[in-house]
Amino acid sequence: MTKFILNIFSIALVSAALLSCETIIHPKLESADPVLVVDAWLTNKSDTQTVILTKTQPYFDNTTPTSVSGATVTVEDNHGNTLTFTESSEKPGYYQWVPASNEVIGQVNDSFELTINVEGETFTASSHMGRVPAIDSISFDEDTQIGTNDKIYQGEFWATDPAGKGDTYWIKAYKNGVLLNKPSEINIAYDASFSAGGETDGVTFITPIRRGINPQDTDANDNPLSPYAVGDSVNVQIFSITLQAFNYLNEVVTQTNRPGGFQELFSTPLANVSTNIVNGNAKGSKVVGFFNVSAVTSLGKKFVKP
Amino acid sequence: MIKFIHAFLLIAGLIFLQVFDLQAQAKFTISGYIKDASNGEALIGAAVYVKELGTGNATNEYGFYSITISAGTYTVSYSYVGYQVSAQTVQLDKPVELNVELKAESEELEEVVVTAELEQANAKNAEMSTNKMEIKTLLKLPPLFGEVDVLRSIQLLPGVSTVGEGASGFNVRGGSVGQNLILLDEAPVYNSSHLFGFFSVFNPDAVKDVKLYKGAIPAHYGGRLASILDVRMKEGNNKKTEVTGGIGTVFSRLAVEGPILKDKASFIIAARRSYIDVLAKPFVPLLKDGGALNFYDLTLKANYKINQKNQVYLSGYFGRDNFRFDKRQGFNWGNTTSTIRWNHLYNDRLFSNVTLVYSNYDYKLQFGKDNRNNFSWKSSISNFIFRPQFTYFINSKNELNFGADAIYYTFTPADAVGVTNGKAVDVSLDKKYNLETALHIGNKQTLNDVLSVDYGIRFSNFQYFGPGSAYTYNDTVPGLRRTPTGEIKYKKGQSIANYSNWEPRFSFKIQSSETSSIKGSYNRMVQYLHLISNTTASNPLDVWTPTSNNIKPEIGDQFTLGYFKDVGSQHQYEVSVEGYLRYTKNQIDYIDGADLLINRYLEGDLLSGKGRAYGVETYLQKKTGKITGWVSYTLGRTELKVDGINNNEWYKARYNQTHNLKVVAFYDINARWSVSTNFVFSSGTPTTFPTSRYVQQGIVVPYNANNARNNVTIPSYHRLDISFKLEGRKVSKKGVARKNTDNWVFSVYNVYARKNPFSIYFSQEDVRTTSGETIKTHATKLSIIGTLIPSISYNFKF
Repeated sequence: MTKFILNIFSIALVSAALLSCETIIHPKLESADPVLVVDAWLTNKSDTQTVILTKTQPYFDNTTPTSVSGATVTVEDNHGNTLTFTESSEKPGYYQWVPASNEVIGQVNDSFELTINVEGETFTASSHMGRVPAIDSISFDEDTQIGTNDKIYQGEFWATDPAGKGDTYWIKAYKNGVLLNKPSEINIAYDASFSAGGETDGVTFITPIRRGINPQDTDANDNPLSPYAVGDSVNVQIFSITLQAFNYLNEVVTQTNRPGGFQELFSTPLANVSTNIVNGNAKGSKVVGFFNVSAVTSLGKKFVKP
Repeated sequence: MIKFIHAFLLIAGLIFLQVFDLQAQAKFTISGYIKDASNGEALIGAAVYVKELGTGNATNEYGFYSITISAGTYTVSYSYVGYQVSAQTVQLDKPVELNVELKAESEELEEVVVTAELEQANAKNAEMSTNKMEIKTLLKLPPLFGEVDVLRSIQLLPGVSTVGEGASGFNVRGGSVGQNLILLDEAPVYNSSHLFGFFSVFNPDAVKDVKLYKGAIPAHYGGRLASILDVRMKEGNNKKTEVTGGIGTVFSRLAVEGPILKDKASFIIAARRSYIDVLAKPFVPLLKDGGALNFYDLTLKANYKINQKNQVYLSGYFGRDNFRFDKRQGFNWGNTTSTIRWNHLYNDRLFSNVTLVYSNYDYKLQFGKDNRNNFSWKSSISNFIFRPQFTYFINSKNELNFGADAIYYTFTPADAVGVTNGKAVDVSLDKKYNLETALHIGNKQTLNDVLSVDYGIRFSNFQYFGPGSAYTYNDTVPGLRRTPTGEIKYKKGQSIANYSNWEPRFSFKIQSSETSSIKGSYNRMVQYLHLISNTTASNPLDVWTPTSNNIKPEIGDQFTLGYFKDVGSQHQYEVSVEGYLRYTKNQIDYIDGADLLINRYLEGDLLSGKGRAYGVETYLQKKTGKITGWVSYTLGRTELKVDGINNNEWYKARYNQTHNLKVVAFYDINARWSVSTNFVFSSGTPTTFPTSRYVQQGIVVPYNANNARNNVTIPSYHRLDISFKLEGRKVSKKGVARKNTDNWVFSVYNVYARKNPFSIYFSQEDVRTTSGETIKTHATKLSIIGTLIPSISYNFKF
């Protein structure tokens, strides 16, 4: 919600922003020991499921993160089935489970426990696969760009949150096969709106969420581009996520969506995002990252004519 | 409650026993009003001094004074800074009513002015931790965008700071922006800014007096921890009709004031509006298509003197900021205040004022292109205040103040509706109803030539009542979101939460010599309303939320000690050193990722902790001569300790500034030209830097391995401003005296164009990545004003 409002504010302040200026700087940062990073977002799709293990690196280190090899990674469901994730030979640190044809990790309402044994320590995390609504349709419509009044085309998906409070989702969109994954493009929902306090259970997703599938791109002069043009295709996927994952992603957005300029007036302090990975030994090494298992629905559409 | 009333009566009784002079001796009272001779405006804090007895008093907020002394013949002098002293011989063998009009100083009368300063010497004044910003001084300061601004000006006073340009509000002695009570003719102003934080809502044409209480706060003020900013509006010229106005870079201003009934009733109407949108309209398509970008305010006041014993005042303020992208979409916000006051003199020693206030702050947002798909959201805080206050001028050594406050609040956190495909979903939150009441009594007492004290107590009560729902939350690891575990519905008028607090206030002055004194104070302040804002600068959408079953009242205890001295043959210099120490509890902070807007379970995202702030303010002022001005230096620290933040250790607050230096100078070059300049230096404010980064689902997340908050400080801030003022000719070219006066102000803000840092933030490059690809990260320094800003404004009066 805050993100949405502040985007609006920044448009209003474009003129005042002419006085402001931004400079890239290279401050010295405190050094810190690397910490295990778990990136484990699994789905009920019948394709390769991956858990990535790496180490944190200094903030200004722009190289590929150091991978963590030699771990044993398993996921156990509440029916007693255990899946073993084996490390990929091409990609160290990528632990994969390749399902047989039509095989899936589990069903909606199943619970899962991730266990990682690495460097003499055991890390665990649990997740629960929530339900997810089908996407009814996708539409494209003409709009005018706020600020420039240019004619643009916006995409919008249509789906309805099922009755019953507390469903949480991550909506991802692919434009022409490219995942929209800038921090500003993370689109999450609590029931049909932004938060638990929204009281929007069992209704169609609210407009900003339906329209959260539009890429946020600008041209060389920083003018916003039309999100879609005739001939583009979009694929929308709704992932069910746990409440913990929803809170986690909210924190990720707060910490990583930093468009700068006047919006910095309204930014919140830098803080560590949470994690659901637990070290069995409370005094053991720290760990960051997240484990979530999602059910997924998807729908694609090509923008043929306005 | 009954217990309390007993205690109150007992204390009141004890004080009365002490302060009444029980010796039978003929005593009489001299009382009256002190006003400005040119326009009839009451002078607040003007000095009345009885030469033979060496005692005196000062006028109250309405210009009234009263002194009761033994019969005799006295020389009584009346003085006010910048005005000629009026000395009168009074034969006191019966009560004397003496209304005095003081004439403004003129350059030929420098000597007399100095006498006035002497009587009002800093060291003799019993007040401490207060600063008065004269409107004359304010008008001389170098303006930003050519606009004189009340809140920008008070930031040049010791102990007052800001986190940067564009930030709303101000910080006093390490308090947050929401810990200042801003009063406009006694009506609380909940958002003091236009255009985020660039301008304040006060129109300088309508402001008479600005006083900031940073400590030693009298018992009749309460409700915020850090400071009280008391802004009083002009009453309006009751001698002649006057029009003032001006054209600045941002606003154009016009004010009309004048008598309705000569010497009985007068009025003032002052209006300002930003006009950039009017000029830009032909060039900006947005503005032609129903868009808007403007802000304006209207200030009104009228008064009527019914007779010598009764006077009524009506004042009002209405201001709004409008941002509209087209006819349907946009947002706006603004304050409305109205105040009715009735001054009544029961007799020449008992002055009373009854105030009724309505004030409101609200904002509205609306988005969506048609009726079938849109979203609208309104939020507001409004209150009604009833405030009777009494001053009993017991004798020349005691002045007793007592009274009560009752404030009824209505909070509307969200009145919001989203319409999707024609289907409306109401996401409104419950309104909240509260009553804040207080009883207070305080006495200013001169014990002897050396020692005087001011002591008082305030008893405050806060009630949160239905209709509405109250929630209970689970306990979790501090720093994580608490989830609601229960909801209790309350009927109309049913009490949901109720808190009471005693707030003792005490200050003393020891006159160590004719020109020096030591002053100290202790006060407790309690705050029942909380400004919910976890952003770097506060913004118009920040919501005020009341104390509840989950949020406790904020409590602050402040101690101050200072040394004050007047220096120079004519006491033209004023020097002071003042230390402060404040402990606070139940300060609000936020979980990481807190959701503060339209959130029914907001309370689950709040944390509570304690704070400490301490520092030393040094101040040197030169009050007369060709060059005047001041130097203020504050050394301070503000820290918070909140479970769930910074490993539960103390950390520096976002607005902590170790060093804060301000130099302000005014110089009259000749009769027409004058120059003013100010220089500001402050240490950088704290911020949090990451140590490390990691990738999660293709996004780079910053990580501080020590889990620290505000572990580094950004580079320091400094800036020089200069302004030249050219007074219009006093006589026309033909040699005839001009009736009208006017002036031009040429100013440059940020003369050496320093790119002062507002913040430093960390982000990944703005690209989409595929799995396994490397992503670049960098740090950016943001300067809100990265250049010098020249401006010209023209002001007139006729």
